[in-house]
Amino acid sequence: MRPRILLVEDTPTEAELARAHLSAFGHDCDHAGTVAQALEIAAARPPDAVLIDLQLPDGSGFELMRRLRQAGVDAAFIVVTVNASVKAAVEAMREGAMDFIVKPYSRARLQVTLENALETRRLRAELEAARAQLGRGSFFGFVGASPAMQAVYRTIESVAGSKASVFITGESGTGKELAADAIHRASPRAGKPFVALNCAAIPRDLLESEIFGHVKGAFTGATDNRAGAAKQADGGTLFLDEIGEMPADMQVKLLRFLQLGSFTPVGGTRLEKVDARIIAATNRDIRAEVEAGRFREDLFYRLYVVPLELPPLRARGEDVLLIARHFLEVFSAEEGKAFQGLDAEAEALILAAPWPGNVRQLQNVMRNIVVLHDGPLVTRAMLPAQLIQPSPREGARPAVRVERRARAVEPLAVVEKRAILAALEHTAQDVPRAAALLEVNPSTIYRKLAAWKKEA
Amino acid sequence: MDTINSEVARQLAEELPPSVLRSIITTFEADIGRLAQELLAAGRAGNAEGYHRAAHSIAGAASAVGASRLEREARLAMNPAHDEPPHVVMPRLMLEAKAAIEALRLLRP
Repeated sequence: MRPRILLVEDTPTEAELARAHLSAFGHDCDHAGTVAQALEIAAARPPDAVLIDLQLPDGSGFELMRRLRQAGVDAAFIVVTVNASVKAAVEAMREGAMDFIVKPYSRARLQVTLENALETRRLRAELEAARAQLGRGSFFGFVGASPAMQAVYRTIESVAGSKASVFITGESGTGKELAADAIHRASPRAGKPFVALNCAAIPRDLLESEIFGHVKGAFTGATDNRAGAAKQADGGTLFLDEIGEMPADMQVKLLRFLQLGSFTPVGGTRLEKVDARIIAATNRDIRAEVEAGRFREDLFYRLYVVPLELPPLRARGEDVLLIARHFLEVFSAEEGKAFQGLDAEAEALILAAPWPGNVRQLQNVMRNIVVLHDGPLVTRAMLPAQLIQPSPREGARPAVRVERRARAVEPLAVVEKRAILAALEHTAQDVPRAAALLEVNPSTIYRKLAAWKKEA
Repeated sequence: MDTINSEVARQLAEELPPSVLRSIITTFEADIGRLAQELLAAGRAGNAEGYHRAAHSIAGAASAVGASRLEREARLAMNPAHDEPPHVVMPRLMLEAKAAIEALRLLRP
């Protein structure tokens, strides 16, 4: 697509000359002679770059830049002026101009300035997109920016729009129900019910009734017709947690429901059809359960369409601190406490702890600290003893070094991406300079940016 | 200093199609006629802001077509720190405006 340039110039001679140049560059050009016209045109046809004369009949070019920014116009601003003073240039840059051209200017100067500004703007946009993709610190109910969680977020986003069954695995406390809820909320079914059922928490005799409902008189105590979780989730999502605990006879009934999309309530005679997306989860090794004959293989394949594995907290690097700070803030507000953060020693201990109970354990620890202590900082003395003195089972772990935080080992591609984005940020998106700092060829950076854009 | 900067004139002739250059010269003539009237009116009325604004526009238009001497006079007029009063600057500026228009007419392709 051709870049769109908004030329704001009130002197017809200059406007005509600039338009001739822009047209020769192959750009689409809109022309405004006043601040008011420029705002109107920018709103109707958002420009990629704005060439701004500083003296306009109804205001200054600086005022125009401010108002364009307020209006959300995300363009490269280039100031064009007859005043070649350093003061004017500094002021233009301070007001947000990307570059500054002094009249009279040659066609070549205009072209270089414009191309640089458009390229910088494009790189900034790519940088923001790459950063957003790389470093989301939260996602629906999740808190965490680690590479492991970025992969989880991407899978959830990818699968949300489909009706395919999702099978979530992960240790206890890693957030399986949160993941199921995120899939539901990111899906087109978000406006319909999300019904969660913990198969391990329901007596096996009642499980069928809980899932499929019952009719009046089906069994002692069935005094009325009752809709089960499947019916309640019609149009929405049915989350079956701890599916590995489901009794064998119930597995058969669930398989039949998945195959037909319909079921018969307990004690009933009529088939009921529902449209519910199924998400299942377990903390067991479900393949081992299948091999051991405790979980039906045909049901496994019905449910295990899109696997989603949630990483344990110990594999999430500094996420543990993000989560600790998050809980500290939430619980402090709830309990009316004045905690503001964690001191370095407490952070190091939290970072080094194994967290076998994962986020749920961390949540309990932070709740405990907030309830029992006052702020403003969480210190070593407030932490539970087991965090400071690991159990003999965890004795082989390296000793906690409070003066140095461990950094999670990350995939090489992620490290490379971080380094390139940091160099671009450091050099204000100047690719040749960034390349020089990284001691690579600029074409390497351009190639990487293009590849990330394609991935995104 | 020439009335028209030969380097700028050469550049314009090289970079612009003849029809565009003709149109720009015509626009310049119209601009300078209008802006000179605005400058005179503002100067006579003691309207400093209008005087400086008109001078600024003349300087911009003149610089675009390489009318160096007109640009120089306009820059003097638009400079609030310049101590020559409008009645001294304006006649010189008008003369340069006429000279620039005549010189550009000769360059018209």
